[in-house]
Amino acid sequence: MNSSYHKNLRPVNFVCNATQAQSVSLVGDFNQWDPLAHPMKQMPDRSWLLMVELKHGHHRYAFLVDGALTLDPRAQGITRNDKGERVSLVPVS
Amino acid sequence: MDTHRTRPERGSKESGSTLRGLVHPVVIYPFKQPGDYSDLEELYQMIGRLDADKKRYARPITVLDRKTYYAMAQDKSFIAFRKSVVAKHSDILDAWCVDTCQMWCSGLGMAFEQGGPQDVYWLIPGDFNYGTRVGQEVLGRLHDLPEIILELDQDICIGEIATDHNNSKQLIDTYGTFALLYNWFPVEAQEIRRFTERPRSEFFAVRHDFLREVLARRWYPYEQTVVMLLHAVFARKQITRFFVGNISDLPEGRESFASAMQQVERTERVLKSLWRERSVAKPGWVEAYHSLEARSEQIRRAGLTILENLSAQEP
Repeated sequence: MNSSYHKNLRPVNFVCNATQAQSVSLVGDFNQWDPLAHPMKQMPDRSWLLMVELKHGHHRYAFLVDGALTLDPRAQGITRNDKGERVSLVPVS
Repeated sequence: MDTHRTRPERGSKESGSTLRGLVHPVVIYPFKQPGDYSDLEELYQMIGRLDADKKRYARPITVLDRKTYYAMAQDKSFIAFRKSVVAKHSDILDAWCVDTCQMWCSGLGMAFEQGGPQDVYWLIPGDFNYGTRVGQEVLGRLHDLPEIILELDQDICIGEIATDHNNSKQLIDTYGTFALLYNWFPVEAQEIRRFTERPRSEFFAVRHDFLREVLARRWYPYEQTVVMLLHAVFARKQITRFFVGNISDLPEGRESFASAMQQVERTERVLKSLWRERSVAKPGWVEAYHSLEARSEQIRRAGLTILENLSAQEP
């Protein structure tokens, strides 16, 4: 990838407060909703964190909490994905 | 009046953006001219920026009620602002309007006639505190609404302003709008609430095809956002809700009980009319209507009792 591509990427932190979960991953348009693409890391306070670099625009995403698609309560928007499931929305400017 | 612009070539990528139609901003000028122009100045600074970005935006339209004009026709500040700011950055649509929603209809209709199938129409209410910190935050996020439609292929994007549970607008929606929606359109109401707590929001953007469908139907003089959301659910359109700001900390708190009463009553009136419109061809609709109407009256009275009680208990 060239440098201009990287310049268009912005770091975005995702936090999921599923403190009792065994595994959490981040799925969205940016990883073709692949549950294995972006596993989240559990923090000492038991919340789950992941930083992902995303390009400018609006991205649909959700958390997979122990396999269950879960909305982000702190998301800036709600929409549906291509399967018709309710998912969250994050703007990247 | 030259309102047509050269469209960006479809299929071409512009710098910093993906494939786009044009966005048509439609500003609803405040019915009652505020004495202080700072909020409108802030708004029209943004409109000026949109007007300058001719690859992305059609020439903005400002809808101005003639009653507003005649009430201010002798006011030099108003005339100067209209000429040097509003008319500079937008085409003014002077119209006699029954209510704000007719201003929406006139403005969106005019924009629609200038638009094309790929385009998006963006309603921007003028009567908001854009000069305040919170208002500037809202103004900075509003452009997301049409962008979401273009990027994610949505039909309607509702801008939601977060409020605390005791905010008058939230109380009216909780005990009036949603309570009545659950009576007249229970399935659709649940779907709407999966997306938004503010079904009467004046901040929205809508895709060309969906706007055409909505314009072709009966346009109500008030609570048109609720009607559009219902049509969106009826027709399984793509709905998105996007958070545009938080007004829970604004100083102006509650609306008067008279205003709350009017808002609840007209919501009920619209829902009744829409229900009849959709049900009149069905056998037994009259009995069903009377049953719903009786319940609706109970719901309205209960809602207004709560709102009256709260308006008398202002902290």
